Formats: sequence, structure tokens, C-alpha cells
Amino acid sequence: MTLHTDFKHLLASVAVVAMTATGAIAADKSLTVGLTSDAVHMDPQAGEELSSNIMYYHLYDPLVRRDAELQFGPGLAESWELTDDVTWVFTLRDGVTFHDGDTLKASDVVFTLDRLKGSLMANLAANIESFRAIDDSTVEIKTFRPYAALPNDLAAILILSEDHVKKVGDDLDRQPMGTGPYKLVEWVKEDRIALEAFDDYYMGEAEIETVTFRPITNPATRTAALLTGEVDIVQDLAVRDVDRVKRSEGYEIITRPSLLNLVLALDMRAKSPTIEGDNPMTDRRVREAMARAIDVDTISKIIMNGLSTPSAQYVPESHVGHVDGENFHEIYPFDVEKAKALMAEAGYADGFTMTLDATNNRYVNDAQIAQALASMLAKINIDLKLNLMPKSNFFGYIRVPSDQSSFIMSGWDVPSGDAGSMYGVMFYSRDKKDGYGQVNRGSYSNPEVDALIDKADSTPRVEERDAHLQEVTKILLKDIPMIPVHYEQDIYGASTAVDFTPRTDKFLWAYDMDIEG
Amino acid sequence: MLGYTIKRLLQMVFVLWIVSVIVFLMMSFTGDPVFMVIPIDSTQAEIDQARRILGLDRSLFEQYLVFMKGMLQGDFGRSYVYRQPAMDLILERLPATMEIVVVAMIFAALVAVPLGVYAGANPNRTTSRAIMSGSLLGISLPSFWVGMMLIFLLAVQWQIFPSSGRGETVDFLGLKLSILTLDGWYHIILPSLTLSLATMAIILRITRAGMMEVMRQDYMKFARAKGVSRRGVLYGHGLRNALIPVVTIFGLQLGDLIAFATITETIFAWPGLGKLLIDSIYRADRPVIVVYLMLVAFIFVVINFLVDMVYTWIDPRITVK
Repeated sequence: MTLHTDFKHLLASVAVVAMTATGAIAADKSLTVGLTSDAVHMDPQAGEELSSNIMYYHLYDPLVRRDAELQFGPGLAESWELTDDVTWVFTLRDGVTFHDGDTLKASDVVFTLDRLKGSLMANLAANIESFRAIDDSTVEIKTFRPYAALPNDLAAILILSEDHVKKVGDDLDRQPMGTGPYKLVEWVKEDRIALEAFDDYYMGEAEIETVTFRPITNPATRTAALLTGEVDIVQDLAVRDVDRVKRSEGYEIITRPSLLNLVLALDMRAKSPTIEGDNPMTDRRVREAMARAIDVDTISKIIMNGLSTPSAQYVPESHVGHVDGENFHEIYPFDVEKAKALMAEAGYADGFTMTLDATNNRYVNDAQIAQALASMLAKINIDLKLNLMPKSNFFGYIRVPSDQSSFIMSGWDVPSGDAGSMYGVMFYSRDKKDGYGQVNRGSYSNPEVDALIDKADSTPRVEERDAHLQEVTKILLKDIPMIPVHYEQDIYGASTAVDFTPRTDKFLWAYDMDIEG
Repeated sequence: MLGYTIKRLLQMVFVLWIVSVIVFLMMSFTGDPVFMVIPIDSTQAEIDQARRILGLDRSLFEQYLVFMKGMLQGDFGRSYVYRQPAMDLILERLPATMEIVVVAMIFAALVAVPLGVYAGANPNRTTSRAIMSGSLLGISLPSFWVGMMLIFLLAVQWQIFPSSGRGETVDFLGLKLSILTLDGWYHIILPSLTLSLATMAIILRITRAGMMEVMRQDYMKFARAKGVSRRGVLYGHGLRNALIPVVTIFGLQLGDLIAFATITETIFAWPGLGKLLIDSIYRADRPVIVVYLMLVAFIFVVINFLVDMVYTWIDPRITVK
């Protein structure tokens, strides 16, 4: 009898242990992500590329948070207000703690901005003139001129802990510590980055307890790792593997248009480096003819396997400065006859010869797109020579004053959600104002555009800024200093157990994700 | 012997110096590293600031002098991209590469030498012919294809091995090693098998050729007549005399695999040196490339030195001068 009871007792306790064990497993959800490359940095002021950016937003937080749809809202700053046209006062959230238990203070924000100004990423704070802590939870930031997009800019600035950085110095890269939803557990270079949820995260602890990122460069291996269950979700699934993953049970494909707009910059100078004689592209009719000769739908269908979205304007719909209803490729639809007529009208029926500078390892199928452009423009007698090079050479080569280029293909993304940051550097007249026009590769210059950008950059009110920038967009669509081609598509492959919505900016964020236990 | 060692050392210093000059010059044509590390729309002032931080505001010659001066003091420069000492970046990844290379070389030797001896001793048997055809496949199949097939069959279809990664590591004398864990071995088999195939085939063919040559010698018949077992004759007398070219090729292959396991590493997402080299070339990260290539040159010189030493042990008639 005693034995029997003891045995029952034992069974019961085993059952309890088993239950708590499974309970614990269910609570400790874990996720493994296959990235295209390892992070380079964990110090957000040391550099930027996608994998590092993804890590930054797990480890740190910005004052202003940018959500998956590029909407901006409170982050570490609970609220902010404009006290005059150039002065912003940010109130920090109460009781935000760093991973080491320290409380976030205004001095940390000041320290972060100070360090940023002297770093390689100083560009992020280009519009900020000065900053100071008013008290422990209030920060004042002054901009050089009224600047409505400051909160958008701040979404890219991640707040560091002053004490921690002073302690570890540049080793922050290997010992990152912030207020973010995850803490770094282990970083084995090129093999894995292991993160663990931060219990005291101010928005509440993350659903997924441990997240492991594995850099798998080779696309086929990434697919294999997904199909063997070694990873739960992969970035940039290879186009050729899409069908295969779709056919496998328990997996799904998730796509969304990226922010990266592939654009063609046309030289507007009277003499162009690779064109003999006068530059025909100074004539608007020639530019329109070129726009009409380029068939973006064919590029999307044939070269991109349908995995691209022709771009209607220079910035996506979600952005400040986008004009609803306007579409470049509807204004100038593909029409070779019309294009030929325009060329003849401009006096260039026999066409001309010039060179296209493009990358061959930066954008999806960039070299093939360049070849397609050459054959399309040949139809209107433009003899396009291709000058393709790796990205490490390209960005120095095309750099303003771009004195070797007439026609440049490059990508541009505006994660700040504000067209102004693109228009100011790309379409403002060169050398007129510091911080403007430094990537105006075609040397486009329109006083009207300059004036509107000036106006947009001198109002602290977003609605006014939006109105001015929309005017700029309309002028640009008419002037054609640049031909927008398409947005690449981001493709993810994931196990159906993962609950995942891709972000517009491509920054995978485990805090927003969940996985079935 | 001492004189020989010193002579080799001086040669090595010279080789390393030449490598550093060539790489430094070549890398100045591969693009401006500044644009790889800062946002494209940076202003001139920000670019200048970045150049100053990276030490790129000086002339190439000055940069070289700074590099040489640092190197003589044991400082190999800092990566532009990682902002960490280039040597640290390399040493951090070296154990992983050494692991697959050593395992691959052991695979290769264990399979190739016995098969080569067999095929050389019995050149007319069908099995020998089959072995030789197999070795041709090993040489001609590209490693990326073999790697992908192994992943496809053994990882995705049959799920025997993992497709990628290095598995669990343990700290051993400050190095992170995976060959000391079961999980590590589980991960290392496919990549090292892929890496070993070509070497295996080459060593097999060299062993066979050497053996066929040796088999014709009179001392082989004498040894057999004297009553030495067939196995003893083959390995004790035959292989030993056929071994010089095998060791030479083995040494060269070893260096080659360490330096250029890149493709295999990329396919299996193996966290070794090859990936670092490719990334650094893409990012025009000169300090890392210079140190990497100098290290590779160093490894080659050392291996060749060791091979010379092994010669004297295999064949006592050889002396080094």
C-alpha cells in the first residue's frame, strides 16, 4: 500500500516536472534568422549596412520610432514640441533602463549626439546645430534652420549609454549595450549572433526569448538552411528558389516592394564628359524621348522575373512630398514612335553616343538592366556604351562633380520617409549652398526647385513642407532630370510557424515577430 | 642547417616585403574605401572628417610608410570597415579555416594514399581503373557544385547532416574550436569532404604514378625474394621511395586550401578566412587584404620549409644546404 502510494506520488511529481518543463519550453520561444551577411558593427556610430542596422534596432532605441510602414511615433522620447522655429524640446519617457540597469537620462542623449558629430556617421546629425539637456528628462535640440523633418532624422539616431561608452570606448563595437528589446549574448563572427530578450524593456518584454542570426551568404545555402529547419526565416530568398519553397509544406514566401528606387541620372550640362559636341540631353524633348524609349514593364517581367515594382515617382507613396495620382510611366508611357518623333523634333533623328555608368554587384540584376537599357535606347538611335564596375569603384567614380559621367544608374532609398532629404542633395543646384546638391550628379539646376526646397526647409510645419515638396515633385516629373525605373522587391522565405510582417525599410525586428511554441 | 634556416628566413622577409608593396599598389586602384563606409550623400566636410579618421588624408606613399613603421612594431594596421586591428580580424577567423583544412587534408591522405598505392601496384585491375576514373571526377568536378549537391542530398533530402554553419564551439587555449565537440564534427563533415575531393584526387594520382615507377625497380623484386611480405614491400620500400613528390604536392595543397578555401566556406557558411577576404575586396578594405595576403605568403614559406625538412627524413640521402 505504502509502496503503491509512493509510486503514485512519484508519478505525479514526474508529471508535474514534465509539465513545468514543457511549460518552460513554450514560454522560451526561440527564433533563428538567416541573414545575407554578418553584421559589421554593433556600434551604431561606426557605420551602416543592412545587417548592422538590424542589430542596432534590437540593441538600442531611437528617440523617435519608425514603424514597419514608415510612420513615425514616440520612442525613447514620449513627446516633443517646437518652442520656436528652430528649437525642439523632447521629453524622455520615464523609467527607461539600459541593459545594465542604469536609467536613461537626458545627458545620455546629449552624449550620443556629441559623439555622433565626431564620428563617421556625422551625416545623420547634419541638420542639428546644437543640443543640451534642460533637466534629466528633457532635451533641447536646435536645428540650423526651421526643419520639419527633424523627428524623422532622429529615428536613425540610436541612443547610447554615456557611462557604458566611457567605460568601453571604441570596444562598444564588441560590447554593445543600449535600451533595446534584446541584449547581446554572443557574437561569433561570420557564424552567429545570439540575442536574448531584455526583461525590463520599456514597451514590455519581447515574445521571443532568444533570437539567433546566422549569416549565410550563398543564396542556395540559405534556402537549404530554411528547408532543413536550421533557420526559421531567411532574408533575400533567391528568385529561382521561390517556387521550390512555395511547394514545400510548412513554408511561405513573403514579398514587399523595397524602398530602393533604381534611377537614371541624366546629365544637364551644356557639355557632357562622354558626349561629343553639345549635350543633347539639355533639350527636354530628348529627355522625354529617352523616358518613352525605356520599357520598365519589360525590365520588370523579363529581367526581374516580375519581382520589381515600376516606380511612379522619385519617392514611394508613404513619403512626405509624394503627389497622389501622378505616375511618371503614365505621363511618359513606353512609345518608341513618339520617342523617335521627339528626337527628330529636337534635331537628333540620327541620335548620339554616350556612356552609361552602372554597377555590376550592387543592385539586383544591375548589369542585365544596363544591357537592356542599351538595346532599348538603340531603338531611338542612342548608342549607349556600357561602363560597368564593382560598387567599390563606382561610388567614387560617379562622385560629384561627376566629370567622367553623362548617364548614371544608381539606387536611392529614403528611409526617413521624407522626399526633402533626397531632393535637397540630388536636385538642388550644385555648389550654391552647403549641404545641398552634393549628389546632384546630372548638375540639374532649376531656381524654382531651389526656392521651393528652401521654403520646405524653412518651415517647421510638416503640412507646409509636404506642400512645397509636392510642388518640387511636379516640376521634376515635367523636367525629367532623372528617370525612375523600379523598386526592387524584398523576398523572404519563412516557416509558417513564424508570424512576420516585413518592414518597408527591410530591418527585420524580432520584437514585432512571434513564433508558434 | 642553421645557415639554411637563416637563409630561408631572409628569403621569407623579402617575399613578404614584395607582397606588401604589390598589394598596396594594387589596392590603390580598386576604389576609394571612404565611400564604402560613409553614406553616399555625405558633404565634403564629412568626407574629409572620415578620411582623417581612417588616415586616408595622406599620400599613398606616406600611408605605406605608416603601415611599414607600424608593422615593424607589431601593429598591422586597422581595418577601415571594422575599425579593429586587421590582424585580430584574421586571427579570429583562422581557427575555423584551419579546422576544415586539416580535416580535409586528413581525409584526403587517408583515402588517397592507400588507393594510390593499390592502383600503382596493380595497374591493370578493374578496381584500379575504377579508382583512376573516380579521381578524374574528383579533379574535374567544381567544388561549388559538389558542395551544393552534398547539401541538397545529405542535408535537404535525407536530413543526415546540417546544411551550414560551424556548430558548437569550445574554448581551447583561447581558441574557439569546434572539432572538440560532437556537434562540431557533425557540421564539419560536409564542408571538409567537399574541400578534400580535389586534393584527394591529385594526391591519389601522384602516389600512383610514383608507385608505378618504383614497382619496376629491382630492389622491389629483391625485397620480395628476400621474404618481405607484399604489404611490407609496398609500404616500407615502395611508398617510401615514391613519397617525395607526394609530400611536395601535399604541402602546396595545404597552403592552397588555407588561403583559398573561399568557395567552400561561402557555400557552407563556414566562418573562416575566405569570406573575410572576399568582403574586404568588395569593400576596398586595404589593411585586411594586405595582412591577409602577407599571412598567406608566410604560411606558404613555412610549409615549404617544413616540406624540405620532411624530405631529409624520408630520404636520408638528401641534405639541406
